[in-house]
Amino acid sequence: MSTQTKRRGDRKHTPKTKMIGLYKRAIQDAFHKLDPRIAVRNPVMFLVWVGTIVTALVTLDPNLFGTVTADPNQQRLLNGLITLILFFTVVFANFAEAVAEGRGKAQADSLRATRSDTMARKVLPDGSTQSVPSTALRRGEQVKVIAGEIIPVDGEVVSGIASVDESAITGESAPVLKQPGTDIASSVTGGTRVMSDELLIRITADPGQGFIDRMIALVEGAERSKTPNEIALTVLLTVLTQVFLIVVATLSPLANYVNTPTTIAILISLLVALIPTTIGGLLSAIGIAGMDRVAQFNVIATSGRAVEACGDVNTLVLDKTGTITLGNRLADEFIPVNGHSLDRLATIALASSLFDETPEGRSIVQLAEKLGAKLDFQPETTEGVEFSARTRMSGTNLAHGQQIRKGAVDAIKGFVRSRGGSLTPELDATYERVSKLGGTPLAVCQDSEIYGVIYLKDIVKPGIKERFDQLRCMGVRTIMLTGDNRITASVIAQEAGVDDFIAEATPEDKIDVIRQEQSQGKLVAMTGDGTNDAPALAQANVGLAMNSGTQAAKEAANMVDLDSDPTKLIDLVTIGKQLLITRGALTTFSIANDIAKYFAIIPTIFSAAGIGALNIMGLKSPQSAILSALIYNALIIPALIPLALKGVEFRPLTADQLLRRNILFFGLGGVIAPFIAIKLIDVILPFA
Amino acid sequence: MNPFNPIHFLPFQVEAIQAIGIQLYRRKVPRYLFCLLCFNLIPALAVQAATGDVFSRSQAYALGILGLVTVALSGYLFVVMFQPERF
Repeated sequence: MSTQTKRRGDRKHTPKTKMIGLYKRAIQDAFHKLDPRIAVRNPVMFLVWVGTIVTALVTLDPNLFGTVTADPNQQRLLNGLITLILFFTVVFANFAEAVAEGRGKAQADSLRATRSDTMARKVLPDGSTQSVPSTALRRGEQVKVIAGEIIPVDGEVVSGIASVDESAITGESAPVLKQPGTDIASSVTGGTRVMSDELLIRITADPGQGFIDRMIALVEGAERSKTPNEIALTVLLTVLTQVFLIVVATLSPLANYVNTPTTIAILISLLVALIPTTIGGLLSAIGIAGMDRVAQFNVIATSGRAVEACGDVNTLVLDKTGTITLGNRLADEFIPVNGHSLDRLATIALASSLFDETPEGRSIVQLAEKLGAKLDFQPETTEGVEFSARTRMSGTNLAHGQQIRKGAVDAIKGFVRSRGGSLTPELDATYERVSKLGGTPLAVCQDSEIYGVIYLKDIVKPGIKERFDQLRCMGVRTIMLTGDNRITASVIAQEAGVDDFIAEATPEDKIDVIRQEQSQGKLVAMTGDGTNDAPALAQANVGLAMNSGTQAAKEAANMVDLDSDPTKLIDLVTIGKQLLITRGALTTFSIANDIAKYFAIIPTIFSAAGIGALNIMGLKSPQSAILSALIYNALIIPALIPLALKGVEFRPLTADQLLRRNILFFGLGGVIAPFIAIKLIDVILPFA
Repeated sequence: MNPFNPIHFLPFQVEAIQAIGIQLYRRKVPRYLFCLLCFNLIPALAVQAATGDVFSRSQAYALGILGLVTVALSGYLFVVMFQPERF
């Protein structure tokens, strides 16, 4: 697996969306959502919606369902006010959802602006080019894109080297080099711009099915379906609603029996007050906001299910390089063995890294040159040998058949042995010494002779240990995967504070670790960017692919990080947990609210039955009590929209601590707050 | 010729009636509403019979509809409970 080597520093994610007109559009959408075909999707609020229609009818004719004894005009006024409050309860709930959706739509608009129907130079079989609209291009066809032009659709670079500006998607202003033949750099995205030179690109996606198109569909919520937790909560809320519907529907005969006949409007008010409208109105907004928070982090989630799964993750499988340690390991020291001089080792190391363009390779060249090393051959006469996961070494073939190699100590030992060379204990001692320092030892040889070891220094990212401590506190286990030897891996693992590590890991080990953890009933999250990571990304419950990665990795994962920063997986776990905590907190609050509303309305309905003592809030009159409870019920929804969108403040606590905190803040608060609020509204209302 | 006698309907009138029939068949909501209003004659009669002179005919009919709506809502909530992914 490889990682992108650009500097990330402390760059924070910045939303690229335009929020202008967000609220205006949300207000419009809130009214559009009154369409019964849309309203029916939210069972709790649909009941309020039907109740609004019934109270509207009794406002027009107070005697519709039976002759009322009170003054018809006064009754009409009360019914009208109840209708108005119920109507706004539904509108506020719709507004909460519309605001959450609007943020996603704004981001989709921003992405849509990058997708333009440009003209493309299609390459014909005879090699000539033809100008065609980008929508006419099909998978498998080839296009030529020159400097200044926009890449029409997603594809793979066939030939050419060019720098490409991907800021439209990633927000990263530095252009990225694209060239054929490598997993990462050969993948290009439609909508990005070629800054220099030209590329011949083979199209990998039909129009409308490219990466940006899929991202637009996702952030707009077109593919949004309820997550398992949302479904479970919906069932719970529906059961509660059903129970209260049956109770209220059968209450009228009881009220008549105790000589306190009630009107239909009051029964509907009682029903609306008792059913969990607060969480019913905010439930979808919380889910959408969770996805939006992920999007604000420049991560695209394929579904709410993926975001929610982040909150339930038990195990994080993390690559060492780029995630736990800083991406670039740098050569710190040359350690000669077998009696060779430092100068000779530096010369051989320089020769071995002649064609190595990785940061590690360049740092070896720099250190060698700093030590005064010079090549004793013409570079033009040599041939580079690229690193591969199989050989685990790279190097240079000289003109006279000599072979210089650098790589993992085991690999170099094998190479030397195959050429009849002998091994000394000095090499193993040096290897152990570097490993124990947490560095990566690279052995350097020429044919059958080992010259020494290069000490590549690994630097653990600042603050990563504290992050892992927090994760452990939340019950999340961390496993580090590295191609390094066991000693180096153990030192880094200890320094970083991971729970477990797998040394000398191959890409196949990833999927094995994931399967092993899943077989114990755990949910696993991992990051990846290479084609060989795709099976593991698909197997993991949360697979975060890097945007710089291959198309296969991006398609297999259920999340794509546009900044290509693997550390974000830890942030995503936090966001997922925050989503679950917010949903739990607001559900607790909503259900706890019922107690105060019960004490506000029930004594008024059964006042003649001698239960006036239950009016513990001392509310002025039955009308005032009902209106106060309903006004509170309506206003609490918009009041909680910011909390639903922003999420409850996250603290790394254990499940028990979280439960206690939830019950204390949102349970007790949910009982006390409405008592105070309803009493205040009752005092303000002019009803005597 | 009596224009309201079906025997004397002109072809365009027959076509219009057919079109209404087709629309009624195709559109579910008006059809269900029509069926509900017709079916409500039974509970409305029961309400009036059970309450004597307490409710007028129209009030009994309205109460019947309210009862049916409540039952329908309860049925809808049961559907949500057992098939939540549909919503």
